[in-house]
Amino acid sequence: MKVNLDPDQGVAGRIEVDGLTKRFGDVVAVDDLSFTVEPGSITGFLGPNGAGKTTTLRMLLGLVRPDKGRASICGVEYVDLPAPATIVGAALEATGFHPARSGRDHLRVYCTVNRLPKRRADEVLDVVGLGQAKRRKVGGYSLGMRQRLALGAALLGDPAVLILDEPANGLDPDGIVWMRRFLREYAERGRTVLVSSHVLTEMQQLVDRVVILNRGRLVREATLAGLSEGTSSVLVRSPDPTGLTAALDQHASNGTRARRLGPDLLEVTGTTAAGLGHIACAAGIELHELTPRRTDLEQVFLDLTGTLETEPS
Amino acid sequence: MPTLIAGEFQKLLTTRLWLWLLLGAMALTALYASLLLGFSDDPDTMTAPLHTAAGQQTLFAVAAGGANTLTAVLAAIGITGEFRHRTATATFLATPARNRVVVAKLVTYALVGVGFAFACLVVVAIIAVPWLSAMDISLSLTGNGLPGIYLGVLSDTAIFGLLGVGLGALLRNQVATVVGLLLYRFVAEPIVTNIPAISEWTIYLPGSASAALTQVSLSTQGYLEAWQGGLVLAGYGLALAAAGSLSSVLCDIT
Repeated sequence: MKVNLDPDQGVAGRIEVDGLTKRFGDVVAVDDLSFTVEPGSITGFLGPNGAGKTTTLRMLLGLVRPDKGRASICGVEYVDLPAPATIVGAALEATGFHPARSGRDHLRVYCTVNRLPKRRADEVLDVVGLGQAKRRKVGGYSLGMRQRLALGAALLGDPAVLILDEPANGLDPDGIVWMRRFLREYAERGRTVLVSSHVLTEMQQLVDRVVILNRGRLVREATLAGLSEGTSSVLVRSPDPTGLTAALDQHASNGTRARRLGPDLLEVTGTTAAGLGHIACAAGIELHELTPRRTDLEQVFLDLTGTLETEPS
Repeated sequence: MPTLIAGEFQKLLTTRLWLWLLLGAMALTALYASLLLGFSDDPDTMTAPLHTAAGQQTLFAVAAGGANTLTAVLAAIGITGEFRHRTATATFLATPARNRVVVAKLVTYALVGVGFAFACLVVVAIIAVPWLSAMDISLSLTGNGLPGIYLGVLSDTAIFGLLGVGLGALLRNQVATVVGLLLYRFVAEPIVTNIPAISEWTIYLPGSASAALTQVSLSTQGYLEAWQGGLVLAGYGLALAAAGSLSSVLCDIT
């Protein structure tokens, strides 16, 4: 099986998920999910708890068998990768350690099975900041230290693709800043980084692109900029809301939409405060308030995942 | 495959469990050997006199009893620990062909069984040589059919390593596997094999097959020829390993 890591080829470093479906008993954990992740950027894989993020990542990594669909990395299914650790590094949980084994010994085991030199264990332990604690048993590690060790294990083979499931869980603020910088540098070297999280404020400062999942289904796949675009709105108060709505409706072809929030209050999307003021002025309509409302990622996310029943986009 | 086996040995040796179980196996062997030597003059003893070849064979065969069950327990913990401590994720990420992992563990724990058996045979020798000499009984470690007993003990314990890995791969629950193994070995099988009416069937049970390998049994149960016992026991080991391997390949690591 040929693994293409040539950056001139389309599939190098790309993750492709195509129609993945997984049921556990009666529960559909992942439902016909498709998305792609491109190299050179950090993609946030977002969704509330139980959305199917971990199951998707585990299917991508050959740990869970999909009922339908296919997932590939660099054009190849994970189980067919010849030396997986050098192509894909994955940190799926901060709990996959034998408590009586030292952090260093844990990594050295995987150096052996991945045919990597043993010194890689010490190198990555220094990179993730566990150099001092490496001879201690993992049972005595804090959650943050285990997260760092899991990341270290993922980095052993210096992989082109990094897949991290909730990596910021348990990290202190310093650790989060450190990880953000680390992943940014990693992506800037042209590599692929896919990071899942349910803590969205963290992601807002980290990711370039987002794939949002809810109840096993894709809700949105966009760049971070594209996600907040079109979702920011303007609150406007006017004694003539009906007239204003009619005036705005004439601009509906530009994507302008008005929604009545109160007797004299409208929420308008698809235009800026200036654009809205201009429309009102041209129509001779009096305004009492004009407030741009920037929606943050958190709000977008809540909107997207909260309204799924009515809008399965 | 050699790298996977090296990895398995590294996993085994980077925690202390193997050492405790080895010491346990050696202590159990020392206890069995001492009881046998100490009660050899007892008129009610079931074993052959120690100056005979049969008596000396029985003495060295106790090493199997000391080593085999604890080897199976260590093997079972070795594989179920991957699921209990969730290291299976990292293991199967490194080696997506899961049956290769199971095969590496089978080889590893068969070799561990050989090591445990060897250590326990040494324990018997260390106790028996001065003890028998004090009783004015001559003992040649290479005579009286003893090399055959050594071979039986080594292969018996190696196959118990396979049994432990196979059972562990099949059940994957550490407590269930270890408790099940101990209950079967020390409670269920001894009861069943002492029922004469079904002895024609119970000679094919793992414990009886194990006794056949060394041609020594302290129960009333008869046994097969050594080679038959070896085949039956290896059959259990390989059948469990195949079922366990298949089940580990098919299961979702969540």
